[in-house]
Amino acid sequence: MVSEKIEAPILTGSITVPKIKENASIDQKCHHAAEKHMEKLGFPGVKPVDWKEKALKKMKELLKKYRSLKVYLDTCVRCGSCADKCHYFLGTGDPKNMPVARQELFRKIYKRYFTVEGKVLGGLTNAEDLTEEVLEEWYTYFHQCSQCRRCSVFCPYGIDTAEISMAAREIMDSIGVGQKYCNEVLGKVYDLGNNLGMPGPALRNTLDFFEEDIQETTGVDVKLPLDVVGAEVLLVSPSADFFSAPHVDSLVGYAKIFHKAGISWTLSSYASEFANFGMFIGSYAVMKKVATRILDEARRLKVKRLIVGECGHAWRVGYSFWNTLIGPLDFLDPKYPIPQHICEFSLDLVNSGAVKFDKSANDEFTVTYHDSCNVARATRMGDKPGGQFEIPRALIRACCNKFVDMPDDVNREKTFCCGGGGGLLTEEIMDLRVKGTQPKAQALKDLMESHQVNLMVMICAICKAHFSHVLPHYGIPMETVGGVHQLINNAIVL
Amino acid sequence: MNIIAYIAVVIFIVGFICKVRVWTKVPAPLKIVTTPAPITYPGVILRMASEVFLFRSLFRGNKLLWLGGWIFHISLLFIVLRHLRYFFYPVPAWIMSLQTIGIYAGYIILLPLIYLLLRRWTVEINSYISNAMDYFTLFLIIGIAFTGILMKQYIRVDLVDVKAFMLGLLTLHPTISPGDILFLVHFLLVLFLILYFPFSKLMHAGGIFFSPTRNQRDNAREIRHITPWSNI
Amino acid sequence: MGDVLEVGEKKVDVDEDGFIQKWDDWDEDVANALAKTEDVNELTKEHWVVVNYLREYYTQYKIAPMIRLVLKETGKRLGQDKAVSNKYIYDLFPSGPAKGACKVAGLPKPTGCV
Repeated sequence: MVSEKIEAPILTGSITVPKIKENASIDQKCHHAAEKHMEKLGFPGVKPVDWKEKALKKMKELLKKYRSLKVYLDTCVRCGSCADKCHYFLGTGDPKNMPVARQELFRKIYKRYFTVEGKVLGGLTNAEDLTEEVLEEWYTYFHQCSQCRRCSVFCPYGIDTAEISMAAREIMDSIGVGQKYCNEVLGKVYDLGNNLGMPGPALRNTLDFFEEDIQETTGVDVKLPLDVVGAEVLLVSPSADFFSAPHVDSLVGYAKIFHKAGISWTLSSYASEFANFGMFIGSYAVMKKVATRILDEARRLKVKRLIVGECGHAWRVGYSFWNTLIGPLDFLDPKYPIPQHICEFSLDLVNSGAVKFDKSANDEFTVTYHDSCNVARATRMGDKPGGQFEIPRALIRACCNKFVDMPDDVNREKTFCCGGGGGLLTEEIMDLRVKGTQPKAQALKDLMESHQVNLMVMICAICKAHFSHVLPHYGIPMETVGGVHQLINNAIVL
Repeated sequence: MNIIAYIAVVIFIVGFICKVRVWTKVPAPLKIVTTPAPITYPGVILRMASEVFLFRSLFRGNKLLWLGGWIFHISLLFIVLRHLRYFFYPVPAWIMSLQTIGIYAGYIILLPLIYLLLRRWTVEINSYISNAMDYFTLFLIIGIAFTGILMKQYIRVDLVDVKAFMLGLLTLHPTISPGDILFLVHFLLVLFLILYFPFSKLMHAGGIFFSPTRNQRDNAREIRHITPWSNI
Repeated sequence: MGDVLEVGEKKVDVDEDGFIQKWDDWDEDVANALAKTEDVNELTKEHWVVVNYLREYYTQYKIAPMIRLVLKETGKRLGQDKAVSNKYIYDLFPSGPAKGACKVAGLPKPTGCV
C-alpha cells in the first residue's frame, strides 16, 4: 500500500560497502502462494507434517541432478569476493544478503545432513539442523535473491548463487511453501498463455488499438497480426508489451520494423508470453511446460522463424535452454538463429539498409542503456561473445544522436540488477526493491547530472516495470525508463 | 607414525577421488555458463587457465584479496615443489634448481597467511561470513609454515634421517621416524591437513574444474545440450 | 488467505494486497473504502470516469484495459480530443493504473511484469 513506509537510500555519489545491520530486511517477505496456486503447478497445497523429511529427500534428489548445486556447495571458501557485489546487500546492509551468506543458509543444512565434515564437526563448520526457523529464513532470503548472477562473475570458482536460490525455491515448493507472485503468474500461463491472464479477445482488441493509433499518427497501415497460420515469423514477446507503459512502445516498434522489412509475421494468443517464471522457481518441469506452448504454437502456425521480444530472463530461457528443453527446433529455417532476438533481427535490417531511421526524431533524448542481468551474464547475441552488449548499443546508436554509456563498474557483465528480477517484482517487498535499486539509480543519477541523460532504455520487461515504479522514489521521473524498440518506434522511416 | 602417515595419505587419495567422482557423475542439465564466454574448447581452456593460474575472477572482484590469495598459492606451489627433494633419490636437477626460490617462498607465505587471517578477523563482512573451520584451516597452515621455518632457520633437524624416513614411506619399506620433535609436529600438521582436505572447502582445488559457469562453452543455440535425466 | 475490509455493515473479503476477491462484492461504498487504502481521500468525478471504464472493459474482456486504452478512453470521456497523460492517472491514483485504479474499480490485481 502507498502509505507503507518505503525508505529510498540517499544517493551519496558513490557505491559503498554498508555497515552490517543484522535483520535489516527480515521484514521483507513475499506473500505465500495459496493452495490453488500451488496445486495448479503440481505442488502440494499445504505443508505436510513430515515436511522436513520431504525437504531433505528433495535436496538429495537435486544434489544428484545438478552438478552446479553439488560443486558450488562443496567449493566455497568464504573468501568474500562476492560479499559486496549484491545490490540487495549494498542497499540494505542485511548480512544475509551477501551472496556467500545467502548460500550458507543452504550450505549449513547440506553440511549437516550430507557431508562427513558437517556431521562430525557440526557447528564448527556452521552446520545446522533443518527447523521451522531455518525454513522461515530460507523463505525470506531466497526470495531476496534476484538470481542476477553478478556474484558469479566475481567468484574465483564461478559459484552462482542463483543456482542455490533456484534449488532452495524448488525444495520449498515441493513441501507446499511457495511464493504467490511467481506461482500465481505461472498458473495464468497454464490457463491463458500469458502472465497477465489476458484472454485472446482482449489481446486482439489491444492490437486493434495500436493499428488504429499507428494509422492516426503516421498515416501508414501497419498491422499487428494475431494467430496467422503460415506467417514467416512467430514473434513471442513478454505480455507486458501488450499492457504497460513503457513496454507497449516497444511492441509498436516491433510492428513497424516488420512492416518496413516486408516480412510476414504473427503474434499468438496461445503462446502470448515469452516470460518463463519456471526458471525463477527453479522447476525444470514447469519451465519446460511453459516453453512447450511456444513449440506447439510454432508448429501449428507453420512458421519458419521464431523471434523474441524485449525480455531479459526469458532471453536466457530462450537462448540457453530452449534447445535443451524443447529442441531440436529443426522444423524452423536453419539460416536464422533459433530463437532470434528482436535486436539481432532489427540490427541485421539496419545493416542491410532495409530500414532507415530519422535520428532527429529522438533528439529530445540523451540516451543511456541498462544491461539487464540475464541478457548480460547468461546469454549472447550475434556470433561473437559480448554480442549481447554490442548489438543493442549498435541499434541505439543507429536510431538516436545522443548516446552515453554507463560507467564500467555498473555496465556490461558488471551491470547491477534493476532490483526487481528473479520473481521479486511484487509490491509487498517494495522497500527491498527500492533499496536494491540504489547502485543503478546512483549511476543513472550521475549521468543525468553530468550528461543530461533523460532516457534509460533496456530490453527487459521486468526492468522496465520495476524502474518505472521505483526510480520516482529517487526523484527520477518514471518517463526516464524506456525500451530499445521504443527508440526505433520513434525514428523509423515508414 | 608410519601408520598415521599411510592412513592420512590413503584417506586423502581415496577421499579426493571419491569427491571428484561424484562431481563427474552428477550431470550439468542446462547451459549455465557465465557470459560473455568462449564458444570453442580452446577458448574454454584459456578461460580455465586464467582462473586456475591467475585467479582472473578474483582479480576483478577484489584486488587486495587477489594479491594475498595469489601470492599465497604461488608460494605454496614452490614450497611443495621444493619439498619433492625429500622424495627422490637422486634428486632431479629441476627440483634442485627450485630450492632457493622454494625457501624464499617458505618465508613469504607467512605474509599472505597473516593478511588472510587478519582480514577474516577485522573486516566486518569477512568476520561475519567466517566459521571456526575457516580460521582453523588458516592456523593449521600457519603452523606448518612456522615449524618449517623454525627447522630451516633456527633448530636444524637431521635431514638425512628425514629423507631416509620419507623414502622408506614412499617405497613401502617404512623405517623408524626421526625423533626430532619439531619435525614430528611439522609432519603431523601436514598429515592432518591432507587428511582433512577431501572433506573440506580445500576441495576448491578440484571444484573449479567442474564449475559449469566456467567450463561450459557458450553454444546453446548451435549445439543442443542434453539433460541426461529428462525423459526426452 | 487475506483480510476483511469493513464497509459500514458490510464485510468484504480482500486478498493480501487489499484487492477484493469477488466481483459482485463491489459497490460505490466499497470503492470509496478501497480508495482510502490507496491514499485517495475522495473519489471525484474524474476518478469515476476511470473506474467506470475499467469496470466496463473488464466485464467485456475479463482483464483490465491496456494503459494506452485507459489514457485514450479517459481523454475521450472527459470530452478532450486527445488522450490524458500517464501522469494524469498517477495524480488520481498514486500507485498507478494497474494497482491503484484497478483496486478501486474492484478488478483483480494485474499480474506479471507490470
